[in-house]
This record gives sequence, C-alpha cells and structure tokens, in this order.
Amino acid sequence: MLETVIIGENIHVLARAVSTAIRERDSKVIQDLAKAQAEAGADYIDLNVGPMKKDTEETMQWLVNTVQETTDLPLSIDTMNPVAMEAGLKACQKRPLLNSASGKTDSKEQMLPLARKYNCDVVISVMTDKGMPPDVDSKIESIMDTVAYANELGIPNEDIWVDPIILPVSTAGEGQRFAVACLEFIKILEDVLPGVKSTVGLSNLSNGVPSELRPLLNRTYLVMLGKNKLYSAIADPLDKELMSLVKGEIPEICELVYKIMDGEDIDLSVLPQRKLEYVKTAKVLMGETLYSNAWLES
Amino acid sequence: MEYKAPVEAYAGVVREVIIGEGRKSLKIGGENILPLHFFDQGSNANPARFALEVLDMEPQDWPEHLIEPFKDVISEPIKWAKKCQDFAVDAVSLYLVGTDPAGKDTPADKAAALVKEIAEAIDVPLIVYGSGDENKDAEVLPKVAETCNGMNLLIGPVLKENYEVVGRAILEHGHTAIAQTPLDINLLKELNVKLSKFFPSDRIVIDPLSSALGYGMEYSFSLMERVKQIGVITKDNMAMMPIIANLGDECWKTKQAKESKEQGLLWEGITALSLLLAGANILVLRHPVALSLVKETIGVQ
Repeated sequence: MLETVIIGENIHVLARAVSTAIRERDSKVIQDLAKAQAEAGADYIDLNVGPMKKDTEETMQWLVNTVQETTDLPLSIDTMNPVAMEAGLKACQKRPLLNSASGKTDSKEQMLPLARKYNCDVVISVMTDKGMPPDVDSKIESIMDTVAYANELGIPNEDIWVDPIILPVSTAGEGQRFAVACLEFIKILEDVLPGVKSTVGLSNLSNGVPSELRPLLNRTYLVMLGKNKLYSAIADPLDKELMSLVKGEIPEICELVYKIMDGEDIDLSVLPQRKLEYVKTAKVLMGETLYSNAWLES
Repeated sequence: MEYKAPVEAYAGVVREVIIGEGRKSLKIGGENILPLHFFDQGSNANPARFALEVLDMEPQDWPEHLIEPFKDVISEPIKWAKKCQDFAVDAVSLYLVGTDPAGKDTPADKAAALVKEIAEAIDVPLIVYGSGDENKDAEVLPKVAETCNGMNLLIGPVLKENYEVVGRAILEHGHTAIAQTPLDINLLKELNVKLSKFFPSDRIVIDPLSSALGYGMEYSFSLMERVKQIGVITKDNMAMMPIIANLGDECWKTKQAKESKEQGLLWEGITALSLLLAGANILVLRHPVALSLVKETIGVQ
C-alpha cells in the first residue's frame, strides 16, 4: 500500500476551461473540479494559478473561497507570485500547503517568510539561483542549504515537503537519467534531512509522451517512488488506477514493481499484458532499457 | 605484483548486415566490442567500410576544388559512379537529389531506371538515398526497390513518416533499409521498434544523421557512441544495428570547406575520422582525397 498523500492537480491555469472560469468567475466549473477530485480520494486540492498578473489578491480570494464552499480538504496554493500566495494563504480555513519555495534568492526572501507567518506546510524545491542541480549529489547539497535557511527562519523540518523536480522522461538522452536520479534522491532524503517530507510533480514525468501512454508512466513511477518512501505527489486523482494503487487496491502490481526494482528474476512469459506493461515501464524508469515512445512494443 | 590489464566482455553483438548481392556483396557490422576496443574480449568482424557519393544530376553549388576529381564525368552519373571505383571504394552511394519536388522533380520511374543502370555498371554494392522529401520518397524509393528487384541495395532514408510504404517495398524486393531519425536516441529506437515489426532487424542500418565538424558533430558523435553502448553493453535489441555516417554533404556545405581545398579535405577527413571513432560502420564521403586521407590515417589501403 502506497498511502501517498495526493495533491489533486486538476485546477490548473494551463487548462483552458480553468483559466476561462477564473477570468469569468464561473464558480461551477471550479467547484465541479474540486468536488470530483475530493470524491476520487485527493487529500489536498492544488490551486495552480500561474504568475497571476492582475487583480491578484481579489482573484486568489475568490478562488480559495469558491473551492472551500464545496470541500473541506486543505488547499495547496500553487503560484510563483508572493502577493497571490499571501492572499491565498490568508483565505485558507485549513492549514494550507505553500507550493512552492526554492533555493532561489527571491524565493528564500519572499516565500519562506510567508510559510513562517502563516504557520503552514511548505514545498521547497531543489532549484537554486544556479538553476536545476543536475545530479543526486548536487540536489542534496542544494536542498540542505535551503532547508537550513528555512530552519533558521523557524520552519521545522516536519513542515517542509522537499521537491526534487521531476523532468520529462522523453527528453532525449537525459530524461531517463533524471528519472533515476529522483528515485535515488527520494530514497536517501530521510537520511540526510530527518523529519522532512517529500513531494513531486508527478505528471511532468510524462510530458511530451503520447497522451494515451502517459498514465502508465505516472502510475509506475509513483509506485517506484512509493517504495523509496515518497510522502506525497501532485498528481491526477481522476486517474482511477493511480488512486487504486495509492489506496492499496492492487497490491500485486506494487509487489511486482518492487521485485523489479530489487533486481529479482521474473518470468515475463507468464505475466498478463497489464503486468508486463508495468514491468517494461519500470525498467525504462530505472534506466535499464532505453526509452522510446514505443517502449511497450519491444 | 604482475599487472593484469582489465578486459571487458560484452553481451551484445551488432548485427552483421549484408548489402549487395553475389560477388558484389559487402558485410558491415558484426562487432561485439565497442568501437576500436581491440583490447577487450571480442572482435570487430568487419572493418569500417567507405563509400563515395554520386549525384543523379550535375551538382549545383559545389566549389571547383570539390568537382575537380570528377570534372569530366560530373554530369554523367553512370560514369561518375564507375570512376569512384578508381579510389578503392567499398560501395557507391547515389543521391537522388534530382527527385526533390522543390527542385528538378524527376519522376520516380526515371530515377529508378538510372539507379538500375548504375547498380549494373559498378562492381561494388550501391547505396541509394532519396531526396529526403517524405512524400516523394514514398513514390521514388518503392519504385527503385521494384526496378532493382533482388539486387539488395541499401536504400533510405526510411523515415517515421513513410516507414510502412518504403519499408515494405524494400523488404518485398530483397533490399536493405536505412532507418533515419534526426539526432535523437529515443526517436531512433522508436523507428527501429516500429520497422522491426514487419522488417527483419538484420536488414536495417541506422542513420542518426552526421553533422559536420563545428556544426554539431559532437551531437552525432555522442549519439553514435550511445547507440553502440546501448547495443553492445546493455544488449538493447533495437540498437544492435550497424551505423551509416552520411557526412559528405554536411561537410561540404560548410563555409570552411567551400573556401579552400585544404580546409575542405581536412573538414571532411576529420569529421569522418571522428565518427569512425564513435562507431560508424560505413562512411560516405564526397571527396576522394579526403577518403584517402582517412584511410591513410587508420592504416588501410
């Protein structure tokens, strides 16, 4: 059983229906999305509003209140704009998640103090002023710096959700290396920063992959990260199979993927199609077989 | 203590691909070591092979010093192809640039007839490249395959946009395919997977595109190197095909190569040598002197 905390990603400004609904203050569209995710078993509802250039505070307030009218779930306020962030956090009735801060100077100076001020949980990514740390060691190094900074502000490790930043696996040559690095990062995180939680933007893994193949990558990777004790994921709770995995309804899939990760020999010839697909996908995400859009066909 | 050099043995073997037919045939690939790792356990069944380019029409923008070796035959592709044999080539590579719809737009049957005449006139295997226009190639290359039935030409480019129609014609008429993808390992594998569903893997040669020195050669280098690593070390079935480095055009369209003969020869020679190190199994060059420079460097006649 994974028991991953799922932060529902579907209220996302990149979705045209969402951006239109926000602009036109169409509460039904937003509330339907919130309700559907809550019913599907999400633990948090993410409100991704992007950079939000105008009517920032008023829009954020409206959005948070609109969602809170239909669900009791805590919210994840997802914006790079500190003004929008503060307005969102202020309007939350339950202890929210600040999504996100990073090791970038602006973020350390503007976002982290908000987490302290509103006494909320905070996602901190491994990003720094130098950009995205390329490998496990540099990711660890950068997050240790930023977490130390947050601790000094009075934010305890228990309130910090570390994000290693998942990149698309289909990126030529590099994508698989990133996927393997994030698995390793999550595995050793607890040893280097005891008490911190973790999170990932799961769906970014399958960006650029033909849409019918995306869920399988996301599901398999969530199981793999789960084995390494991932705490939470920003993901699509409307993916039924993903939620079944999280709720422990298909333990045989998890066990199978765990065996693959442990390097156990498995007789692939007797596996049914669905399990075989998980095996092939796990091998791609471990970097054992080269990714191509035809990874299930070979 | 006696020093014992570490020796690696690898799991994968690059498929040995035969091009040409009967006495004109040639084997490429077949190695189970990384490029030039002669110190490891295994062997390189077939040395790198070399071909020279011929165009189906008089070249439009070639500098004088490039035309010079073939000056007397430059507008007669058959004679040009025969003349290539004076330079000890293992194969000749014909480019049907004249079929490009943006240019002369030569019809498929005319192009195919020329291919056949050339294939019959020379004593080495023939490689045939279409114009690269995915739609026109889907007409031209099947016609070439049909007209030259059974001659086992090496035909390409087979692209993700036209692999079914071009691939099936190549297969049906007993030829070998060049699977071409634009400098991307994942796309390269995907095309091989799709093509291999109906096409025998031991009749596929990979063309990952060969950029010239100073114009992205390191991308081609890394990609070829990666294909060999994935094929030979990790035994990925869809990367165990020989590689063709089709580099003449890329080198000779550079400003440096056009500017002076010496620069051009070195540009092509260094690019070829680098891609040879990366693992190319057959290399197509344009200038015979560049070819002999490369051969001299690696010590073959």
